[in-house]
Amino acid sequence: MEKDQWIQTVLNSTNGMSAAMPSDDLLAKIQLKIKQREKVAPTTVWWIAASIAVLVTLNVALLQKAKTRDNSTSSYLEHTLNQSNQLY
Amino acid sequence: MPNYQILFERLYHEHKTLVYNMALHYLQNIEDAEEVTQDVFVKVYHSLTHFQQKSSYKTWIYRITINQCLDFTKKKNSRKRLYLFGSKSENEREYLNTATFEHPGILMENQETAAQLFAVINTLTENQKTAFLLSKLDGLSNPEIAEIMEMSISAVESLIFRAKGSLQEKLSKKFTEYRKK
Repeated sequence: MEKDQWIQTVLNSTNGMSAAMPSDDLLAKIQLKIKQREKVAPTTVWWIAASIAVLVTLNVALLQKAKTRDNSTSSYLEHTLNQSNQLY
Repeated sequence: MPNYQILFERLYHEHKTLVYNMALHYLQNIEDAEEVTQDVFVKVYHSLTHFQQKSSYKTWIYRITINQCLDFTKKKNSRKRLYLFGSKSENEREYLNTATFEHPGILMENQETAAQLFAVINTLTENQKTAFLLSKLDGLSNPEIAEIMEMSISAVESLIFRAKGSLQEKLSKKFTEYRKK
């Protein structure tokens, strides 16, 4: 009985609740956020994305070039060592 | 777009209390509710040109608010999980405070019991929580909730019924703790 009464009291605790009001400067804060978003134009975003893509492509190309150069140097060394280290 | 600016300001003044209170009920934190209210109206401003008038502005704004609250909760929970591996911070203490949330619009004598109710509401599933808050705290009718949640009226009725059952069950368990005090 006491339990049911307590549960009902908790469930009804929001009765007679009044609406909370947001702060007065909220609209100003929202308008500032809108302006800040508008400052970054879509063309700027595209330019940044394109620059990053170019940088990544250049890095990959350079890495691949370095790798092939390494391979050719090591195969040359291997070849010359085999020739000079002959024991017979 | 001068007309949209006027429309936006009208929508803001008409719905600011609705958005802020829904966010406050959902997040149970004044700062978080203000942040989400800002994000909701920024979204409203940017989506105004694409609004197709398929529903009322009120329904549309309610939907944006609920989605924004859910996103905010998910982000906060993922940050909370990260804190488990790190040291305690100001934000972490903030999470622990949600159980003692005091709604500014609730009568002083009901603050303690209302905090218990809000703590239990947080344990409901997303849909049950949304339907219960819209029904109990915002006082919306089941057809209105069904339109906002894009569900049938019977589905909303079932959600609210299950939410009330779950709340009673959880409060029943809490009663023993309450008695020990």
